[in-house]
Amino acid sequence: MKIALAQISPVLQDVRKNANRHLKLTEKAKKEKADLIVFPELSLTGYTLKDLVPETAINPNKDDSFDAFKLISKEISIVLGFVEEKGKGSFYNSAAFISGGEILHIHRKVFLPTYGMFDEAKFFSQGKNISAFQTPFGKTGLLICYDFLNYGANYVLFSQGADIIIALSAAPGRGINEKDAFKSSHMWELMGETVSRFSTAFVVYCNRVGFEDGKSFAGGSFIYSPEGTSLGRASYVDEDFLIEELDLSLLRKARQKLMYKRDNKPEVILKNLHKAVFKNED
Amino acid sequence: MKINTAFVEKVLTKFIKDELGKFHFKKAVLGLSGGLDSSVTAFLCAKAIGADNVLAILMPYGESFKKDVSDAETVVKQLGINSKTINIKPMVDTYYSKYPIQNRIIKGNKMARERMSVLYDFSSREKAMVIGTSNKTELLLGYGTIYGDMACGINPIGDLYKTQVRQLGKHLGIPEEILKKSPSAGFWPGQTDEKEIGIDYENIDKILYQIVDLRKQKKEAVAMGFSEKTIDRVFEMIKNSEFKRKLPPIPKISDRTVGHDFLLPYDWGK
Repeated sequence: MKIALAQISPVLQDVRKNANRHLKLTEKAKKEKADLIVFPELSLTGYTLKDLVPETAINPNKDDSFDAFKLISKEISIVLGFVEEKGKGSFYNSAAFISGGEILHIHRKVFLPTYGMFDEAKFFSQGKNISAFQTPFGKTGLLICYDFLNYGANYVLFSQGADIIIALSAAPGRGINEKDAFKSSHMWELMGETVSRFSTAFVVYCNRVGFEDGKSFAGGSFIYSPEGTSLGRASYVDEDFLIEELDLSLLRKARQKLMYKRDNKPEVILKNLHKAVFKNED
Repeated sequence: MKINTAFVEKVLTKFIKDELGKFHFKKAVLGLSGGLDSSVTAFLCAKAIGADNVLAILMPYGESFKKDVSDAETVVKQLGINSKTINIKPMVDTYYSKYPIQNRIIKGNKMARERMSVLYDFSSREKAMVIGTSNKTELLLGYGTIYGDMACGINPIGDLYKTQVRQLGKHLGIPEEILKKSPSAGFWPGQTDEKEIGIDYENIDKILYQIVDLRKQKKEAVAMGFSEKTIDRVFEMIKNSEFKRKLPPIPKISDRTVGHDFLLPYDWGK
């Protein structure tokens, strides 16, 4: 399969403008024969929304832009990020997988960073589910930014049999040293390499760029093979459009060599997690 | 504390270009003192938006800072940016002839605010955003005049310690004369920050980096070989200048209040 990563800088709050950009880039990806295009976290709205969360929220079943995405998804699948309103007044930092004319899956961000420069839990409800789902390309899992830095979240997708783990991100760059990238970019790559190899799954990470309130989103979107080999990385800091071929037969090859999937014992993990959770300690 | 200067240059120039564009500014205006911080900022602006779009204003008080003015002129020439020299002596002297005072710090702060007033006036005239020139060391120690040199639309070098600004300056090709200058608020000839604070910048930055970036406690900083008195002084300076880094508190009485729970992004709709 061919995959496109749209490493863009969305306009904060302007859903219409961002949706148009999504459609343009999806057309472009389609022309380049991509089967799937992935956008960053909150790609339809921008990240630093604060009190604008309710104003930018969308019910994907009653939204014009989603109708357009569904239509074009008959030819190319789309993963994008948006503010989802569920029922009335519950707002989630969500990601949708749109394919074959319908929304195949919505993931609601579970781990909402609320410390230091982040205050997501102040404005968003917390998602409760992490589920891999069937797509034309194999079993796929979606994670959003901080979700991906939790190895439990990745383990759940691995145990559910994910072939592709897609992480949408709006990760600001943090820390400078003598390297030509933010220190934090290395952390994401480390996680990408580790998760892909130890899950024997493809890892697709799409981060954004641009500035919001002085935060510099670090870019550096990447793809790792099921053996933990880098298949491509977008530029740091600049907008980019990365197209890569994913050879899905690598999944089988990796799993013949690396037995993590076969030898996984989720029941043992679950039993012991149960003990850890219900110990009732602070 | 070593930085990849090419990467930092890239991020900061992108930031300047991006932020000006968001607020529909083509041009930038900044005060150019002949010191390191404003020279580095001028270089970054010129790289980001083109020399033609940068207006540097040199604002000496009388004839007392001739060397600094000539260094600033060198930067203007080197970059090919636009410049204006506006001597603030007449304005400041008119005021002090009516309300005389000897205190050099009070006078220095007034001068800093006079310069701010000129910059904002030219911001409106030229439709140019005022670019700040305060580095992280100054911001943390409160070594700047509130509503004076700290006033700006954006502050590109605000997350770089003084010693890092120097690394960046070297990379950008700032004249040696300026690179080796002792940092000064320029309140009076011969004033230097280091004399006033009582420690040199290398060590101030080392201490700040340990306690701010690496979150070290006082006793850990002392264990690194700094005197307790010095560390105490740095902590005091940070604490006593917090008001300069915040908007003034508003007593909350309504349901939704500016500064409390009216929470919107700076780059709203941009």
